[in-house]
Amino acid sequence: MLERHCADCHDEDTEKGGLSLLELKLELADRTNRERWILIHDRIEKKEMPPKVEKLPSQQRARMLGLLSEMIRQADAADIQANGRGPLRRLTRDEYEATLRDLLMLPNLDVRDRLPEDRRSHGFTKVSALLDMSHVQLNAYLEAAETALLKAVASGMNPPKKIHYRATGTDLFPALTTFGEREAMFFARDGQAVSINNSAYAKWTPEQRKDPTLELALFRSATWPYYGYPRGFRAPRDGEYRVRFSGRAVRQLRDYRIVPAYRPLAMSFRARKTSGPDVSGDVRETGGWMDLQPERKEFETIVLLKKGETFEYSLLGLPVPFIRTDGGFFYDYPPMPPDGHRGAAFQWLEVEGPISGNDWPPASHRVLFGNLPIGPPTKGSQLGVSVVSRNPVADAKRLLRRFANRFSKSKNTDLATYEGLIAKRLNAGMPFADAMLKGFQAFLCSGHFLYLREPIDSRTASTRMAALFWNSVPGQSVDMKRMLVDPRAQRFIDTFTDEWLDLRHLGRDEADLRLYPEYRKDDYLVASLGRETREFFQTLIRENLSITNLVQSEFTFVNDKLAEHYGLPRVHGSAMRRMKLPPGSPYGGLLTQGAIMKVTADGTSTSPVLRGAWVMEKLVGQPPPPPPKMVTGIEPDVRGATTIREILKRHAKDKSCAACHARFDPVGLALENFDVMGAWRFRYRSWSKGEKVTGIDRAGHPYMYHVASRIDASGKLLSGESFEDVRALKKILAAKPRQLARNFVNQLTIHATGTPVRFSERAAVERVLDRCAERDYPMRDLIMEFVASRIFARVNDE
Amino acid sequence: MNSSHLAIRPLSRRRLLRGLGVGLALPMLECMNPVFGKSKVKPPHRMFLISNNLGVLPDPFFPTQAGGDYQLSPYLELLKDYRRDFTICSGLSHPAVSGGHSTENCFLTGAKDPTGSGFRNTQSLDQYAVEKLGQQTRFPTFNLGINISKGLRSLSWTRDGILLPAEDSPAALFRRMFVQGSAGEQQRRLQQLRERGSILDAINDDMRRFQKGVGQNDRERLDQYFTSVRDLEQRLHAAGEWERKPRPKTDRKPPKDIPQRDKFFPKLDLMLSMAKLALESDSTRIITLMVDAFATPVFDIEEKLRSLTGYHNLSHHGQDKRKIAQLEKVDRRQMESLKKLFDDLAAVPDSGARLLDHTMVLYGSNMGDANVHNNTNLPILLCGGGFKHGQHLTFDQHHNKPLANLFVSMLQQMGVEAEKFSSSTGTLTGLESKA
Repeated sequence: MLERHCADCHDEDTEKGGLSLLELKLELADRTNRERWILIHDRIEKKEMPPKVEKLPSQQRARMLGLLSEMIRQADAADIQANGRGPLRRLTRDEYEATLRDLLMLPNLDVRDRLPEDRRSHGFTKVSALLDMSHVQLNAYLEAAETALLKAVASGMNPPKKIHYRATGTDLFPALTTFGEREAMFFARDGQAVSINNSAYAKWTPEQRKDPTLELALFRSATWPYYGYPRGFRAPRDGEYRVRFSGRAVRQLRDYRIVPAYRPLAMSFRARKTSGPDVSGDVRETGGWMDLQPERKEFETIVLLKKGETFEYSLLGLPVPFIRTDGGFFYDYPPMPPDGHRGAAFQWLEVEGPISGNDWPPASHRVLFGNLPIGPPTKGSQLGVSVVSRNPVADAKRLLRRFANRFSKSKNTDLATYEGLIAKRLNAGMPFADAMLKGFQAFLCSGHFLYLREPIDSRTASTRMAALFWNSVPGQSVDMKRMLVDPRAQRFIDTFTDEWLDLRHLGRDEADLRLYPEYRKDDYLVASLGRETREFFQTLIRENLSITNLVQSEFTFVNDKLAEHYGLPRVHGSAMRRMKLPPGSPYGGLLTQGAIMKVTADGTSTSPVLRGAWVMEKLVGQPPPPPPKMVTGIEPDVRGATTIREILKRHAKDKSCAACHARFDPVGLALENFDVMGAWRFRYRSWSKGEKVTGIDRAGHPYMYHVASRIDASGKLLSGESFEDVRALKKILAAKPRQLARNFVNQLTIHATGTPVRFSERAAVERVLDRCAERDYPMRDLIMEFVASRIFARVNDE
Repeated sequence: MNSSHLAIRPLSRRRLLRGLGVGLALPMLECMNPVFGKSKVKPPHRMFLISNNLGVLPDPFFPTQAGGDYQLSPYLELLKDYRRDFTICSGLSHPAVSGGHSTENCFLTGAKDPTGSGFRNTQSLDQYAVEKLGQQTRFPTFNLGINISKGLRSLSWTRDGILLPAEDSPAALFRRMFVQGSAGEQQRRLQQLRERGSILDAINDDMRRFQKGVGQNDRERLDQYFTSVRDLEQRLHAAGEWERKPRPKTDRKPPKDIPQRDKFFPKLDLMLSMAKLALESDSTRIITLMVDAFATPVFDIEEKLRSLTGYHNLSHHGQDKRKIAQLEKVDRRQMESLKKLFDDLAAVPDSGARLLDHTMVLYGSNMGDANVHNNTNLPILLCGGGFKHGQHLTFDQHHNKPLANLFVSMLQQMGVEAEKFSSSTGTLTGLESKA
């Protein structure tokens, strides 16, 4: 049959697409050969081959596919039977860190970035075939393990001494002014700026400097140049610090007066080194988001600091001053809006820490050394304490076994090698604790620790489950439902959305400042977009909602920033809350969320090609084949001369382009109403063509762009359905829930098992879908049925 | 791993480990002669990466014409003897690396948005190269600085974005290069290496047990692990060898540090001469140098000429003619220092060529125009190192090419099989190796 229908093109002379059916042998036991036949099977099944559908009548097509698929299925199943469905998988660096955090009870352990970045396939890192080992990798494990263990051991005989710091008055800020001058910051008394000059200040007594009747008033975001931390505070060591402060949201009126704000103002802190003006170095948001209210309120939060670091006030979404060099050099500030500049006022701030638990030595220490008493450090040891053992060899054996069991319930892990390693060191006179750490370090770099096997029983299946939902180990064996409600399941939400939905790219491209001045340095907006999508995805699972919500949904999550960004009814505060969308809103569903619109654009322009291809691959599960090598990509014309629709017509004209582009270009065109940040637009912006728009942006920069042609988001899918705009497209996509669900299971399979769905498992995927079909494919059920399927673990009964 | 870089013959695993325990008799490094001069091994490549964190005035620096027959700019006129030995690049920068002076941390890393809330630096070019190449010399790298606050400023960053403090004392550098450390110190370091070695031994043995019963699919994965263990052992072994080797000798007298920050140029010249000494003695092959102009107060531009203000303030000239005139003097004086460095490297014979021919000297800055805190169109000059030079490579002024493309070209020249580094999109178009 193949010869009759296909060999005209695919013979040894023509070899279309590099395929000669007469030469391709049918040796399905060979993996490479099998993969080629799978490709042939799939293209015939999708009616992509033969190119003229009518050349292969459906009855014959079905017979051919039936024969072929059964042969491939048998060969593939035999291969799985003999060799497993995928190779051993090394832990990713996310998993390595999370596992060490849980195992050593060090929730803030920071070793991930010591390990080389893991390679990716279609965004996923947990892909067995790509998780290689190298001497660089192994050396990095050795160092990461050592670092983690040293952190776990008690730092001294007693908990580190807590420091208490309190700032009032001018101690609330490291200087008397900041960049942006008084529009950006001043000290106020009774709501009015107090002018303090440097020479007068130099003579002030400490009491004057701490004058509690002074407030620190701040009106700018913590974007460079800035150094807004309390005066004189530095963390004496790594750890968590409790911060309490009193603050309120204010408005700055003319003559540097402050009055209560109309609405709350979101803020956070940023950990950083004290480095003086102009240079910032590493900065890390910490302490979470808090909403200052128009009336004074006390706040309490916990910030995570490294030794020597301080933390700066980070008011979210406020302007940043602009450097002017016309006529000197100074920092300008945007003009005052009618309601005044938004800002914050602080009355006092206290820091206490580092916070340590009530127990000493800490829990992390006891994981390693149990209840053995601690003593003063031994000479020559790099540790802050010694561990006293009367029977070192026996204790070593016991503690090592205990540690290994915390990691894995398997009692038969042979630890003789590690016992030997420790014993040898003890014999050579190494202090007990130091010798133990060597053994632990080796174990943390061993095959047992670094590699995950295909599950062979319920214990190893729960190991795989913990790797999926927690990036970690199961500890006490628990069932899936309990794993999903555990706080550690946030790691699944974060990793999976980072990798499946590309949320890791959220911060990648800054919006072009010429075209989108309103987005200048708006970290608050970008962070809010990420929170929306994560919260939404998590809700779909928690509430077991239908898969169709991926493309169409009646609700989303917004805070003050996003409600404004999406043009929805105003809400107050930074917390994400569920909002039922007004009828006809184009938002609702992952498909049109700002985070997705941002990661599929490049900050300057939107490309229907990229967005369309993204949706087809990530949400629909019909990834377009890679573009031919010799073809250069099309680029939107930001000068505004031609519309993207005109440019894309080239795809339709050229037959070889059209074959694929017709599958996804229209989908992307439907999304053209969303700009690079996901805000709704009717018209394109351009650099030179169209109506001129000028103004001064949120950082005081003058801007000018043009508003060009109107957007036409209508189109026709290859399957024949036409749509006017994205709302209609959503309906079309939502009408095929099984397709969306199948894609979700396929994506999840890669993430959960490290190996894509095998040919012989396709029927198992359909069975998972069958079980969820009646309830319109609810998300949590899909995950549960998948985890219970033989794809996830062959030991699962079906 | 490319074992030719280690220049040791293959040893069995056991012998390697034993080697860590007992002193191996190794040939003395012939320091003051070119190391590879007498052998047939290809001479090694070196790199010296310099950044002045305030940059230079763009106008007198960049040539106005592109290509090979460009007319030298006023600054480059001072380097005219080396016209055929360097390439000047315009239109390069790190994409999305903006934020004024904070970008100094990203010059060799390209890490994006250094003032953003989640910022964490990434591995710098020198550290990446060392990681890939392994320790070929006594010191994997030298990270140097002028007028830096020690511990706070450096061009060099680890993979997890931790700053590697730069050395600002020429005297200390000299001691490290030429004066033998105490026996105790050496023993401690050897002990550390032995510890690491025995851990590798243990995990290797245990992996043999672990591999029992794994499928055919897994063999390849496990082989990677065993290979990694072996490679790492070889590297430990090489590091152990270096510990035991005697230091090279030099005729040069130990230098005296210049503590005053206002002696900017004498300090720069002294540090450059130390770098040359390090390369010449093969103490290291990779050097970074942060010239912290930002932290330089009012200073001597030349004898009897003080700067009007501190260097940073001077760089914000705001079109003040007096400041611009002074800055030009400062920049020119720096070009002279650079020329002296080129002279020195050209005067050292190395494998039938000049040391300069095997040393890529990169001079640049994270500031394109310090006056307005611009971080695009960075001034970039690459001299020596076996490229076809003598040209002005120009890229789009508005849509710069990633500077990391140049880094990839340099890595490949070093013998690192890298196709990507940081934000690179390929190698640098137009820059070709001679070989």
